[in-house]
Parts: sequence; structure tokens; C-alpha cells
Amino acid sequence: MNCTRRNFLIGGSTTLFLSGYFPKISFASMQKKNLIIISLRGGMDGLTAVPVIGDKRLKKLRKKLILEDVLNLNSDFGLHPKLEIFHKLWQKNQAAFVHATNIPYTGRSHFDGQNLMETGAHIPYKEKTGWLGRGLLASNIIGKGLAISLPMPLLLRGVPQNNNFFPSPDFVETKLIDQIYNEFKGEHNELIKSTLDTIRQRPLSMQIATDSDDRKKLALEAAKQLQDQSGPRVAVFDLDGFDTHAAQGGVDGAHADELEEVNKIVTILHENLGQAFDNTLILTLTEFGRTIKQNGGYGTEHGYGSAILMAGGLLKKSQVYTDWPGLKKKELFEGRDLNSTIDSRAVYNSAMSVCFNQDPEFLRKEVFWGDALPDLSQELFKI
Amino acid sequence: MSLNFYRRVAFGLSPNEKPDKDPLNWAINQLDTIPDLLWSGKIPTEKDLRKKYGEWVYGDREVLRKKFKNDKHAYRKAKDELRIKTGERYFELNEHAIRHFQTKYSKQPVFERFWLFWGNHFAISEKDFLAEFSTGPYQREIIRPKMVKTFEEMVKSVTTSWCMIHHLDNSESFGPNSKKGMEWGETINENHARELLELHTVSPNAGYTQEDVIQLAYIMTGWAHKWDRKNLETGDIWFDQEMHQKGDKVVLGVKYKNDAKRELAKVIHDLATHPICIKFVSTKLCRHFITDEPTEEMIKPVIEAWNKSNGKLIEIHKAVIKQAYKYNESTHKFHPPEIWLMQLSRMFDLDIPLSFEKMNYTFKSKPNRKQRQLSWILREIGHSPYRAKQPNGWSDFEVDWVSPELLLRRLWFASVELPILIKSGNRSHDFILTCLKNNFEDHENMASLIHQFRFGTSDKDLGRKYGVICNLPGILKV
Repeated sequence: MNCTRRNFLIGGSTTLFLSGYFPKISFASMQKKNLIIISLRGGMDGLTAVPVIGDKRLKKLRKKLILEDVLNLNSDFGLHPKLEIFHKLWQKNQAAFVHATNIPYTGRSHFDGQNLMETGAHIPYKEKTGWLGRGLLASNIIGKGLAISLPMPLLLRGVPQNNNFFPSPDFVETKLIDQIYNEFKGEHNELIKSTLDTIRQRPLSMQIATDSDDRKKLALEAAKQLQDQSGPRVAVFDLDGFDTHAAQGGVDGAHADELEEVNKIVTILHENLGQAFDNTLILTLTEFGRTIKQNGGYGTEHGYGSAILMAGGLLKKSQVYTDWPGLKKKELFEGRDLNSTIDSRAVYNSAMSVCFNQDPEFLRKEVFWGDALPDLSQELFKI
Repeated sequence: MSLNFYRRVAFGLSPNEKPDKDPLNWAINQLDTIPDLLWSGKIPTEKDLRKKYGEWVYGDREVLRKKFKNDKHAYRKAKDELRIKTGERYFELNEHAIRHFQTKYSKQPVFERFWLFWGNHFAISEKDFLAEFSTGPYQREIIRPKMVKTFEEMVKSVTTSWCMIHHLDNSESFGPNSKKGMEWGETINENHARELLELHTVSPNAGYTQEDVIQLAYIMTGWAHKWDRKNLETGDIWFDQEMHQKGDKVVLGVKYKNDAKRELAKVIHDLATHPICIKFVSTKLCRHFITDEPTEEMIKPVIEAWNKSNGKLIEIHKAVIKQAYKYNESTHKFHPPEIWLMQLSRMFDLDIPLSFEKMNYTFKSKPNRKQRQLSWILREIGHSPYRAKQPNGWSDFEVDWVSPELLLRRLWFASVELPILIKSGNRSHDFILTCLKNNFEDHENMASLIHQFRFGTSDKDLGRKYGVICNLPGILKV
């Protein structure tokens, strides 16, 4: 739908020309491309997920949070042992990491931070829509967002007719909706009415009852939907519990449990997307990293720079993409946090441009108010 | 005045209640005193439940894990037995029953709505075993008695409560220059200080800096649980001078002289009476009762009442209700799932919560299905009250509660589960018509939508009727 010739011409022939961006029109680019975002709420510790083994200072500052059995990535970086699938995909050029990156937010509040990681804005609570929703809207991709959670994440808001999947334990007769639908009148009922529309248009496969506690089943269903050429193009998973102020632990601590959840979801997506995995990008999103130093409870405090975990066939190659800021005191943000040298929104903007077949320059203006976000598509993704 | 006012500020009218001649007075008169808890079953104290919490944690961590370190299956079995013995599976269910009994039968339902509001403003999110043992009694014993005092007193009481201190890790915060901090090389944990500023009082609008957070954390060092080997982290809260950061502190430009435990009351006074705090909390109150985006004009009288009464919650609550009354016809407010459920239970006299006799527990086997029912429903409709994901509690914005699945969950509840909860004497069509008439001006239109099912009384027929009625715009919103 999105890649029809008409859309291509209207969508931005001028901007494409001006920016010198010429997407390859090949069979591959006509294939549906999936973008999957996994939100890691609470502040994911990039240095636990992708520890900088090449820097002795990390060990010194985190005596009680040392990782044993780190999986090797390269001479500088290792990988948390619970992130096995990423290690496996790394061998096939289907996993990569962006390190020392964050949204441009240094306030260390979860709520402001999570609001900004989803809106992509600079002032908390100012924007009411998410960058992913705006990206879909700007790319004229409507009704193709799928959230794997009970509420609709802010990240996807801004484009109409998103779906979510988190079924109730018993079957619901959706024909009941026909009886109430016309009662929703007036502007103040618009949101509910359009959501009822979305329910009525759901594929039959989503009208099931299941145990929504089972993340595996949900990820499996998401994979099924994404595999379908006419199905969703964007999926959003939501994980929380990364806020490990205490007992963060190393290989088996609280942070490890959460990373294991990420690993599980990516494993299921990889196994069940089949061929579609080649046309998929999976990226994580978090509000901030954590302090370098452990705190009084053998946890870490809210910090700044973190990492993005990436998987999928649309990655250019396995790499830790970073402009490493260093861990010396003066190199740290405010003397305590890993610095962020890459605005993570540049990664997300580039990922959207690849998956939505859009000019990154155009998206940058439509989605991120023209903020100076470099195009990283060439470096990170297959285009 | 529309009948929806009874749902805007309370839970609607039960079949044996009639609309008042003066709804505004009816509402305002409910706010001067604290209504007794009506539940005649067991209402354990916060301290008792903390003791149970301690037994559970100690029994598991210090006893079972060591005893069965080489036998995973025996460990699991012993742990399940311990769950039953300590009530780990039971107390949250009992608290939900106490809460919903109150909102269903209270003669001061408007007061109860404010109780829900404050419990959520000073939210305890899902952490460790707080939902199982502590959040319920915290809302009963820490929040509720302060609802006729000042906001400042409520903040003080919350900030030094075991539940909040455990929730936000203040027991792990050591002044780096304190005796213990120096000896053990420990430092502060900023979590509680940050939330006291951001969520409980002044909000980020006050423009505080990282240094303000650190300085407030210094002031708060020492407020911690008393640790001993047997109670672990569940000991009473006290002020441990040996953890307290020495020296003067400065928060939001105000200097607090080195004054040990007295520093906290002083800084709380300044935060709780800060104009930005007053505006922030007044806005939240108006959002809860009037509309998602209240205007300055709506909020202003609440701020005035706050200033005039020096933060007396009774006066503040009354001002909010007056505004809710004033704007009742011109605004709309979407209700989150738990309030929706409470309203359905009151208006249609549903068979939840369970009677206290049936909630009785012997600590010998796991709670039965009926005893788990209310908590299970709350979870399935997406609103388990003690299990907000983050310390900012549950959202009060419509957009956060409208997604295909969240709306489907309500359709599911009303059409599949609700019929099972209708009392045997209330299954007739006339009963529904009476309830609708009691609560809605446009009851005739509502009734016409289910007219085709009027002769049916099976669960399935009732499911079709209530599935429609309970999801109409006029019931999802006021």
C-alpha cells in the first residue's frame, strides 16, 4: 500500500531529490518491512547489557556487580550471558549494538524520561503523540501498528487505527459493538469510537481468548501477524522492571532477569518470523542508562547514556556502533554517568526511513521537528 | 442537575438510594468526617501485616533457601506451604474486598472517591511483596486518617511510612559523611527524594536541579527501617542518626541547618506549601473529578481554598466538589476500569465483593476461586489497584485507558462475568429498568437498545443486556 508509485511521487519526490536520496526500487524494497520496538522501562543499564570489557575502570567501580561469563563481541565489548540470541545472530551479521547513546534528556526522572523516549520531544508532557505514530502517519502507513500490551503505548499514538493484542481469558462477542456503536456521538467520544472501529476490523486470528500472562504466546502471535504481508508493519513490546536501585546483581540479578525477557521475545520473533526476519528490524528503547558506580544497595542510580540492542535481517553487519566517550571521571556526564555521544533518535529516525521506505530527511522534519539528527542508515542498516 | 453527578463524584445510586434534592450539599456534607470501615470481617493492622511480610521473607530467604539449596522441588513445595501459612496469597484479596465493600455501601461515597484519589497520588507501585501485604493497610492507616488534616500532614505521614520508605529505597540511602556511610563506604539512594519532589509535592514545574535532589536525599538519610536478623527489612521506621548526612543542606534555594531528624519536617513544610505544589495537586484533583485537561478557571477556586485554609484537605475537597458540580453539564470525564467496576457494583447491586464470612481464611490451603474472584476481575480489566507499574500510579487520562484490548476487556467482563454476579432476585428485566431510571436521564433510550432481549433471563441473555448497557458512552463517561 505504502510503496505504490503514486505514494512515492506524492510522498516526497522533491525532498528525495534535494537530499540526494534514491531508494533502490527492487523486489526487495517492495517486500513489507517490519519495525519492532521493545520498550525497556525503568532505565536499561547499557553497561550491564553490553559491558566495556576493554576498560578496567568499570570493574573497579562496580565491585559487587561484576559479570562473569561475558559473551565476547570484540576486544572492547562483551555481551551479557543472558542475551544469547543476540550473540547467535551476531555471528550472522544479524545483531548489532549502538552504545553510549540516549535520547537528549538528562533529567533522570523515569516519568519525564519515558514520556520523552516515546514522544521524542525535548519538554516532558508537551507532545501528545509518539515518534513512531508520527513516523507512520508521515509515511501514510495507517492501521499497521500493533502493540503487545493492554494499554496503547504513547509511542504509537498519533496515527489512527492502531491495534493491540492482549486477549481476555474468554471469547467476547464483538457483535455487541454493533449495538452500541451508533451511540458514540460527538467529539468527546471520537477516541472510543475510532477504537471500536479498529476492533471491528481486526483479523479473525486476533479474536481469540488466551492467557496473556504468557509472553511467549503473545510474541508468537505478534510474529504471525508480522509475517503476514497484509498484517502490521510495526510492533511495540513493553517490558518494565529495569529500575534496579537494589540487588541489581551480575549474571543472575534483577537486571539479568529483565534482559532474559528481552532475549526470550527476540528468540521467539526470530524463530517464528521465518523469512520475514530478513525484512525486519528489532530495536530497544529506554529512558536512560544507569550510573557507572554501584550504590548503597548494590544497585545503580538513574544515569544518562545507555545502549540500543538491535537484531534483524535489515542490519548492515554485526558491530558495536559507538563514539566511545570513555569512563574517566572527567569523561563521564556530570562526573557520574556514561555520556551519550549519539542522539538515539537518529538511530530510530534512520530505522523508520529504512522500514517505511522514506527519506530520512523528510522524516526528521515531519517527526522530530527538524532536529539535527544525522542519517545513520548507511552505517547501520541495509538500504 | 443531571443524575450523572452521582457518578462523577461517587459511584452512582444503588437500587435503594434515591437522588437528593440538593446534590451539591449531599456531596459536600460527606467530607467532614472519616467514615468507619464497614467491613465486618478481619481488618488486620499495618503492623500485623508487616509482621506477616517479615515471616514470609525470613522464612523463605533465611530458612527455606538454605534448607533446600540442593532440592529445587522440595524447595518449591515448602515455599508454597509458607505462602499459605503467612497469607501471602490471601491478604491482598482481603484488602480488595474491604475497599470495594466500602465503595459499594459507604454512606459517604464522595469521601471514598477522594480516598482512592490520594491512594493513587501517593502511589505504591508493584515492588517486592508490597501489594500482597502492605499497600492496602497503608491506604487505610496512613492515607485515610489524614484526609481530614492538612496536605502537609499527609505528606509527612506518607514520607515516614514503612511502606513508602521501602517502596522508594530510603533505607538504603546513607549520608556519605555519616558514621555508617564512612565506615561502610556507602552513599545516598536518590529515589525517594526525587519522587517526593516530582510526584508527591512540587513536580518538575518547580525547576529543581540534580543538586536539589541530592540535597533533599541528604536530609532524608537516616529515615529507615530498624534492621534485625529476624525481621530483616520489615522493622519499624526510625531515624538513624548514624546514617544521617551531617552539615547544612540547601533545597530549592532554602537553607536547612544541620538539625538531624527535624530537618525533614521543615523541608516537607516548605515543599507542601509551595505555590507550585498547590497548583500541581489542585490540577490533579480537578483532572480526576472534572476533565482530563482542566482550565485555569476550573482550578483557581481550588487553589484559593487551599491558600485560605492553609492546606486543610476538607476545605480543598469541598472546593473540588463545587467545581465538579459547576462544570458537571459542560465537561466529560472518562472513568478508569476500577471506578467503572465499583459503579456497576453499586448501581446494579452486584454480588461483589464477597461477604466477609466467605472471605474468611484458615491459612491451611490456598484461597478458593470465589475469594480470588474480585482481584482476578480487577487484573483482567487492567486495573489492579495496588499494582501500578511505576511510582506515579495509575493514569487519570482517557487516552491511557482506551485501546482495543482495554475496551474489549470491559465488553468481556460485562457480557461474560457480570451475569454470574447478579443476585438471584435481580435477574428480571424490570430490575435493570429500575436501576437505569435511578441513574440516567436517558434511561428510555438505553432500555430501547436491550428491548429485544427483554424476555431472557439466562446468563447468556443477561450477558447480552449488560454487555450493551455497561459499555454505552453514558456509562463509560460522565
